[in-house]
Amino acid sequence: MTAGWLAALSVVVAAGAAVAYAWLLRIALVRNHPEGYVIAFAVATMLAALAVRRAKRRRWPAWLALAFSSLLLVAGAWYNFVGARVPGGPTALRVGETAPDFTLSDAAGRPVSLASYRGQKPVVLVFYRGHW
Amino acid sequence: MGELQGLGAALSEAERTGVEIIAVSPDSNEQSQKVADGLRLSYRFLADRDLAVTRRYGLVHPGGGPDGRDVPRPATVVVDRDGVVRWFSVTHNVQVRPDPSDVLRAIRGL
Repeated sequence: MTAGWLAALSVVVAAGAAVAYAWLLRIALVRNHPEGYVIAFAVATMLAALAVRRAKRRRWPAWLALAFSSLLLVAGAWYNFVGARVPGGPTALRVGETAPDFTLSDAAGRPVSLASYRGQKPVVLVFYRGHW
Repeated sequence: MGELQGLGAALSEAERTGVEIIAVSPDSNEQSQKVADGLRLSYRFLADRDLAVTRRYGLVHPGGGPDGRDVPRPATVVVDRDGVVRWFSVTHNVQVRPDPSDVLRAIRGL
């Protein structure tokens, strides 16, 4: 493969991985394996490095591909392994124990209590960070 | 939000009416309503503005939000009809949430 094609492939793999991850986020298999995009960025970086090695005359496409893919690799790896980390530690949750009761307002301002569901239906509580 | 949508999609119609899915976050009621409307979801969105409930559950991530704000550690808890915790999952990476099939298995095993 010529340097030009390698550089192009590198960009396609890197940009493609980023777009695919964002687009397919709803699919649990994709969303729960973000290391996939880091691996794709690493592959793209290797392809670009190969392109730089092979480039004889026009070198800038290979260097551009290398800059693009390695930037995504560094940013992606940092985010996945550092930025997105949630600290561990014990919670107040114990399987087999009663869930702590609470009363909070719903979107219409009405108070909703967890205990009110006893004897009615099971509850799935989803704690999430919110949007800002 | 992907988790809520995945969960809703995975539950059958009968299951959806037999289980209450409650989403808790520090978002205000207004913000939650916008999210609910935007996604056309029928889940209850509850506002835990001061994180009191999140704290009671031991799920606070200190300084994890913008401006060093405290935020919840994303978690999913399955509580049975007697109010007992039967399954839960707390994530170590904000991008990762429990597989809907794992949550479903926990619900169906009640």
